[in-house]
Amino acid sequence: MNPAWTLISAFAGALLVLLLPARMAVHSRVVALVAALIGMVTGAVDCLIRLRHPEHAVWSLDCEWIPSMGARFHLEADGLTLVLMLLTGVVAIAGVLFSWNVNQRQRAFFAWFLMIIGGVYGVFMSRDVFLMFVFYEMVILPKFMLISIWGSTNREYGAMKLTMYSIGASALILLGLAAAYAGAGGTSFDLMHLASAEYSTGLQAWAFPVLFLGFTILGGIWPFHTWAPTGHVAAPTAGSMLLAGVVMKLGAFGALMVAMPLFPEGFAMWKGMIAGLAIIGVMYGAFTALQQKDLKFVIGYSSVSHMGMVVLGLAAGTHWGLRGAALQMVSHGVIAGLLFGIAGRVVYARTHTRDLDELEGFDLWRTLPGAAIGFTLATAASMGLPGFSGFVAEISVAIGLWQSFPWLVPLLVLGIIVTGAFSLRALQKGFFAHRKVAKVDAPDLPPLTWPEITAISLLLLVSLSIGIYPKPWVTLIDETLRSPLFHSILSLP
Amino acid sequence: MNYSALFLQLLPETVLLLTALGLMGAAIASESRNGKALPNKVAMGVSALGILVAAVLQTRVPDALASTTPLLAADGVTMIFKWVILGLGLLAVLLPPAKREIPNPGEYYAMIQFSLIGLMLAVATNHLLMLFVALELASLTLYLLVGFPRTARTTEASLKYFLFGGVSAAFMLFGLSLIYGFCPSPYLPDVAAKLAESGLSPIGAAGIVMVLVGLGFKLAAAPFHFWAPDVYQGGPATSVGLVVAASKVAGMVVLVRFLVLGFGGTEGWTTGLSVVAAVSMVAGNLLALAQQSVRRLLAYSAVANTGYLLVGVCGNGALSSGTALFYVLVYGLGTFGAFAVTAGVERETGSDSVESFAGLVKRSPMLALALLVCLASLAGIPPLAGFAGKFAMFSAALKEGMSGGSMPLAWLVGLAAVMSAISLYYYISVLKQAFVREPVSGSGCKLPVAHVLTVVVPAVALVVLGLFPGLLMDPIADAVAGLLAMK
Amino acid sequence: MLLLSLLLLPLIGAMVLALRPGLGGKFAAAWSVLPLAVIGLIIGSSHGGAAAEWSLDWMPDAGIELAFRADGTSLLFLFLTAVVTLFSIHSSLRFGIGDRVYFALVLVMQSMLFGVFTATSFIPFFLCWEMTLIPSYLLVRLWGSAKAPKAALRFFVVTLSGGVCMLLGFLALQLTVGTMDFVELGKLAAGREIAGAMGKALGGVSGTMALTIVAGMVFLGLAVKVPVVPFHAWLPDAYAEAPTPVTMLLTGLLSKMGVYGLVRVFLPVFPEVLPAMAPWLGGLAVATVVLGALAALAQKDLKRILAYSSVNHLGYCVMAVAAVGASTADREAVSSAVSGAILQAFNHGVIVCALFYGVAVLEQKSGGLRGLNDFGGLRAKMPVFCGLFGLALFASIGLPGLSGFVGEFLIFNGVFGLQPWAASVALVGLLLTAIFLLRIIRLVFCGPLKDAVSKYEDIGKHDRWIVVPVVAMIVVFGVWPQFLLHFMNGDTVRLLDLLCPIP
Repeated sequence: MNPAWTLISAFAGALLVLLLPARMAVHSRVVALVAALIGMVTGAVDCLIRLRHPEHAVWSLDCEWIPSMGARFHLEADGLTLVLMLLTGVVAIAGVLFSWNVNQRQRAFFAWFLMIIGGVYGVFMSRDVFLMFVFYEMVILPKFMLISIWGSTNREYGAMKLTMYSIGASALILLGLAAAYAGAGGTSFDLMHLASAEYSTGLQAWAFPVLFLGFTILGGIWPFHTWAPTGHVAAPTAGSMLLAGVVMKLGAFGALMVAMPLFPEGFAMWKGMIAGLAIIGVMYGAFTALQQKDLKFVIGYSSVSHMGMVVLGLAAGTHWGLRGAALQMVSHGVIAGLLFGIAGRVVYARTHTRDLDELEGFDLWRTLPGAAIGFTLATAASMGLPGFSGFVAEISVAIGLWQSFPWLVPLLVLGIIVTGAFSLRALQKGFFAHRKVAKVDAPDLPPLTWPEITAISLLLLVSLSIGIYPKPWVTLIDETLRSPLFHSILSLP
Repeated sequence: MNYSALFLQLLPETVLLLTALGLMGAAIASESRNGKALPNKVAMGVSALGILVAAVLQTRVPDALASTTPLLAADGVTMIFKWVILGLGLLAVLLPPAKREIPNPGEYYAMIQFSLIGLMLAVATNHLLMLFVALELASLTLYLLVGFPRTARTTEASLKYFLFGGVSAAFMLFGLSLIYGFCPSPYLPDVAAKLAESGLSPIGAAGIVMVLVGLGFKLAAAPFHFWAPDVYQGGPATSVGLVVAASKVAGMVVLVRFLVLGFGGTEGWTTGLSVVAAVSMVAGNLLALAQQSVRRLLAYSAVANTGYLLVGVCGNGALSSGTALFYVLVYGLGTFGAFAVTAGVERETGSDSVESFAGLVKRSPMLALALLVCLASLAGIPPLAGFAGKFAMFSAALKEGMSGGSMPLAWLVGLAAVMSAISLYYYISVLKQAFVREPVSGSGCKLPVAHVLTVVVPAVALVVLGLFPGLLMDPIADAVAGLLAMK
Repeated sequence: MLLLSLLLLPLIGAMVLALRPGLGGKFAAAWSVLPLAVIGLIIGSSHGGAAAEWSLDWMPDAGIELAFRADGTSLLFLFLTAVVTLFSIHSSLRFGIGDRVYFALVLVMQSMLFGVFTATSFIPFFLCWEMTLIPSYLLVRLWGSAKAPKAALRFFVVTLSGGVCMLLGFLALQLTVGTMDFVELGKLAAGREIAGAMGKALGGVSGTMALTIVAGMVFLGLAVKVPVVPFHAWLPDAYAEAPTPVTMLLTGLLSKMGVYGLVRVFLPVFPEVLPAMAPWLGGLAVATVVLGALAALAQKDLKRILAYSSVNHLGYCVMAVAAVGASTADREAVSSAVSGAILQAFNHGVIVCALFYGVAVLEQKSGGLRGLNDFGGLRAKMPVFCGLFGLALFASIGLPGLSGFVGEFLIFNGVFGLQPWAASVALVGLLLTAIFLLRIIRLVFCGPLKDAVSKYEDIGKHDRWIVVPVVAMIVVFGVWPQFLLHFMNGDTVRLLDLLCPIP
């Protein structure tokens, strides 16, 4: 299947949803589901084809766009892109399913939703940095709308904070990209062209951190992570899922595919610093999550911690590190989607609280066993228990880190242990509370609906498939890491 | 002198002049015959028709018409920007003023024609004297246009505009005379030649500073921007529509011609200009954050955008000025569209406060969508034209300001990028009202067709130009490169 | 493929259970017979000596494979797993414990145990090892008594930390030596090359030192599961608070994972540093034996007594491992100790099933009471029960002719030749074991008939159908241990060749 179907289905879906007559507004979810399904099937089929026929040429589309600037409409679907496309498809489907009963302004909701999805596909496929940046920024306004209109706690504040952080980060990226473009002669935005250009050391020294930071702010790097928990909490469930599941990945993806290959010398200069920030992020996120009372905040901070591991893998700069970072991107995408889906949709919609102390009273294990089991498995995945995707990713990051910064490995291990602690705490308090505080009249909660069960199973399945048999995923990721783009990074001393 | 060629070249301006005279005649006739002023709709229609005819005739002007006089340039920039001025002028004319705001529409629309003539001439000359005359023709009419309704508010705005404008004109004239002292020819390519020959003399430098101060007033660069908020807020919609878009575009073309064509050979002014750019960006954006009136907000955003534009000019090269001219056009469309939506909201609620936008998406989805497109474009969010323009301009400025491997303009571009990010805050707070909040009153907006056009056309143009910026960016960049090849 | 189907079979069952609301324990009971059949097929098909194998490249160009191999020893443990699970499911049905989810979890756990007992590389070993954790945690947590949550959490955290230690140890091997495959590591270890490789990779740090640390971490991970004193703190609570069928799984199978790891992974991979560690390991093992017995002696609760008795019994296995580490001079002794450890683990698994089943029966009759002094004179009212339960108790004491004896005998036989001091001290444990187990017989079966007990009826047909096969196994394997030894002889010889190559 042509990978462009992902983009087309998302944007066409958004358009179609907007054009639906008002009386059919409720069917917008079906349109969205179909669009997401097309995206996911395309991603999955293309992944399989790529695995079976690695010798085939990578699909690409390269046509003229803005001749005066040298920007081209250049899409490509190599291994890592396909993996991330599949991730996006999965999260999109889960997001639609978890939003099955959005009841106000459905058309607008799913239109913005699909626009985000489309932008995300676009970023993952672009091999022209200008085009990539266009897609990258295209998700900012839809994010704002999604959160501020359909969000929950403190939604306008959370939306504004998220938007300002995103656009601020974009300003840095803009500066960095403009510098790279100008430094490479100002004739082309092609990623490969920019990556093979020679930049002066002085330029690399300032442009790399600007560009890298710009991207990783959206990836939730400490200390610029504060948008993440508030944004996640404020967002509607599908919004948090998208935000944590794929939008944060955009930042990490940009850092991996653009910032590092463009300025390898700059990366070599700054990598210690980045590793330091990342490890602080891992620990800070974990320790903060340990103290949260709101279930969504726990998950929000755990995202900070997990994304810290992505940056850590990037900072390691070795094959294992980058591979681990990419794996962790996928893994966290799925797991965060799962956690947010259960906490935000399944539980909150029924209990109307996310406060861990109050949830104790609902005795969720008895009243909502499906959610409890799902959350247990999600927690296990988030803790990096073997068999789930987190394990493979974390182990790869740890190996990469060992190769570059061996003395940080103990800190990483500590972070992982604290992750286990806060995950268990949330699980215990939220779902397996003691009977004694349980309300006598713990209300009868409606059981899980089919869309919810489907979404949970889908996400769990992906996490398990990575955890049990990561080879296909890693093969695809490696294909990208072996491309000439990464020669300069991987050959650093 | 070849007068027939000259006539052909000035045919569009002539049409505008005839329209203006016709309007005035009709106004007098109407008043003397039935004692009533010419109806607004008629005046507007005639005026729009005149502009349309002028625009059509502009296509008849032969492309490679050799300039018949040094006073008028017939280069690509002229061709393109005359259209731009006519187009933006047409949009402004279509934007109706508030009911019964204009007591005598005939004179009012005639005045608009005059001011358009001034603006068109201003973009079409490399001659310092002509430049001054054309700018003053435009300015004087604009002072009047802003003050036309004769209420206390408009009078104050008009007076402020006039006083600041007058001072700036004085500065500019003084500067021009100093430059004449530096190079005894008011023709810009001659100035460039003189500069290349003997370098910049102190007198010339003083002249540049004076002219820049003058142009700074016209462009509303900080700290010369004080007239802008009052004019934007006080003036009738049509006049302000003209001020926000067409006059800004003309000012930028003049600035590029003056600095990059005339004084491109020296780097002396870039530092000063970059300071002005920085001050404009910071002041404009920070002050805009505090505004409650959307008109004032747009005024401060104009100050900020002047800052970005100056960054492009600071690059002092063909591509950076070319992209700056592309951006000013895109900016003009964006800000005009946003202003037109504001005028529409004002028409319905009687207020231009941020709160009056509440729930716009329910009252009028089209207005809300257009507002979204225009403001997002101003904030530089893709896939809209504002993004392409800013990106192209900033990267071109970096590239052309590059010396060796280092980028001296990096700080300025960085500041511009950050400021542009901050600007999203105030744009989005308007959008938040429009999309997130619930409407206070349930009634929908009913706007005249002309008004709808002024909202929809810019929005569509921004989307199209955003997806295919090459449509205009390439011709403009080529034209500027051709212009700079003159020196 | 047979092996793969064995691994997947319980998972499929669990999935079916999860998806079909109508099904329940009956389905699980029927389904869990299937693995036994597959194991039979594997045994039948591997008569030529070729073991069932299945492997899959797990991570490209890192030499990490998902490799499973069922040789003789593995088959013993697979068989044990199948039997104990079947038994546990039947007892759950019998005592009315659990619902659909419960049985699905048990089946998931079974699959993972199959994986642990057949993995030949660290990654699949560890994957399955840790994946047993979630089902077991949930089983204890959700179907246990009121105090179960705390016990379950402690169980989870302690064993998870142990797992992390083990993981770090093997990661260090992967990073320095370049492989996590047990077979590869075994080959390297046979040539005594690992320490050298580690030293070279670390540059400047003593390789032996590093390998000792790694071995210590791996031991820790395994020891927590057995458990070895002082890492046993999680055990009594978890065993006592879990529902009894789950306790059977915990002690009958999960603790065997530790023993299996010690014998099949720890011994072959770390022979270079074992002699240096052996005294410490021996000390720990002896402490486990003696303190386990002493602690059991101090208990009043039947379930806790049996829990500590498990600690005590598995301590012998650890002792055997430590002794083999101490010296490999005497091939015969090593062979005896290794075979003994495996047999002991196997037989203990079977015996505790019977024992805990007995406790569960008593608990049901008494309405939840299970104190040592809550019963008395049971012999008169429940002769069949007492006969079967008593047989199991005697097997646990190690009475010759019953299965418990063979393992202990072989272990002591070996350890006396290798690490005599440990064996001597452990004899004390043997004595104490007899005391506390006989005390159960004295206080529960004999003595004056208590009023409450007088109303009890003997176990019925249903119970007998469940218990008799298990007790029969105890007797058969006690009389005919060769049957079991026959399975593992080949593997023992291979292990011997690694540990003490014939000069």
